[in-house]
Amino acid sequence: MEAQIAHYLEAKLPARHVRVTNLFRIPGGASRETWMFDASWHEGSEEKVEAFVLRKDPPASLLDTDREVEYAFYSTFWGSKVPVPRMRWLEPDPNILGGPFFIMDRILGCESATRVIIAPPFTAVQPEIARNMYEILAAIATFDWHGTPAARVAQAPTPETAWRKELDHWERIISEQELSPQPIMRAAIRWLRANPPPPAQRISVVHGDYRVGNFLYQSDGSIHGIVDWEMAHLGDPLEDLAWSFNESWQWAKDGRPGGIVDRETAIAHWERASGLKADPTALHWWEVFSHVKCQGIWLTGARSFQEGRTNELILPLVAYTLINAQDQYLLRTMGRIA
Amino acid sequence: MRPDPGRVLQGVAVNLLTNVMQEIRTPFGQQTVGIAGSLAMMTGEEFDRAADRLVTENRIVRALLAEGLALVDGRAAPAVNAAIATPVAPDFRVSSLLAENDRLREGLIELQAALELSPSPEARALDERIWAELIESTRRREFKNRLI
Repeated sequence: MEAQIAHYLEAKLPARHVRVTNLFRIPGGASRETWMFDASWHEGSEEKVEAFVLRKDPPASLLDTDREVEYAFYSTFWGSKVPVPRMRWLEPDPNILGGPFFIMDRILGCESATRVIIAPPFTAVQPEIARNMYEILAAIATFDWHGTPAARVAQAPTPETAWRKELDHWERIISEQELSPQPIMRAAIRWLRANPPPPAQRISVVHGDYRVGNFLYQSDGSIHGIVDWEMAHLGDPLEDLAWSFNESWQWAKDGRPGGIVDRETAIAHWERASGLKADPTALHWWEVFSHVKCQGIWLTGARSFQEGRTNELILPLVAYTLINAQDQYLLRTMGRIA
Repeated sequence: MRPDPGRVLQGVAVNLLTNVMQEIRTPFGQQTVGIAGSLAMMTGEEFDRAADRLVTENRIVRALLAEGLALVDGRAAPAVNAAIATPVAPDFRVSSLLAENDRLREGLIELQAALELSPSPEARALDERIWAELIESTRRREFKNRLI
């Protein structure tokens, strides 16, 4: 794969001979393969070395999303208050590396692991990380997306239809992907339709997977990159806030979102920085919805593996551990179990 | 077959996680071996309990459907009736029991949706009993021997 990447870069960079080294695939990445590598080349007499990240579509995954949309949302926020890596090249041709891909600059010197953030020495800076996390989320929620690359690739719902658009989408995913009936999720979907939230306060960029695990942080509590924009869309900003509270990412198993902050503090940071309100009834609706969406993702991975479109072992692991757990998390959110 | 399949898969998991893992050089490779070990543990547990869980659950759901049939009408009644008419699995293969389970739980979804629209105390009471069964069904599916 080094040779193919080098050949590709030789057509993109002002260089005739590019060397690709330190190529390795990083763990995780159940929806796209994520690879790190360094590239070096000469520009005149000067040797240039840059670190890159390559995100490549696998044959099958937890999600079937459009990398062009992800690329557009990343590009939208480059240079804004929302830190993102700089996008470099988007390649739709699947023949070059065996699947469409894009390449972005690598942000160096950061952590992203969820097991690291909940352990010393990072426990000491969790309040700072949490403040930054929810202030950045507020910046996403209040960002003017009109005229940006995101606006070109995403359809904006109205404040009244934002909830229905997302619920319709994820109910359809569950219907298409479930290998067995999902009575608990179906009951939740009926409840969501019978108890719609109030209209969105505004139509915002929604990251779609905003949580601990999807940003790059340092030991002083600073955050230097928001990543994994593959489910980004336009919608109700409460969707992201609720998603960050989902029990699936309570990594410390202590009831705190992300294992780093209590929800009241997180809401206070977000409301103060955004000027928006987290209406408890609306937030609860989006929290129930977040379980439906999670289940849609896990079921998609389960079917991909069951049908033999992939042998990525993370997919059955997710199915075995999270499909039943997600039902239980939903039951807890709906007050059915303690 | 002895040793029990569950014990064999536990042995596979322990070997992967203790002997093989340390020989793997890349983080992605280590993650893959770790996942394989965990899946071996879970598959071993599921191998032993799956048939029992499905037989138990199919019996309970059939009883709920039979009781609910008298409380629903309209579009739901034929769906519930059809679920009740699902033949009992012809053998004890997990795939056969699972196919029966899927049809019964499809009927349970229809029944519960219909009960939610009924104000009668009997419907409310049965709806609560369905919720209790759904909660219990998640407990039956919990893994106890997970390594990660």
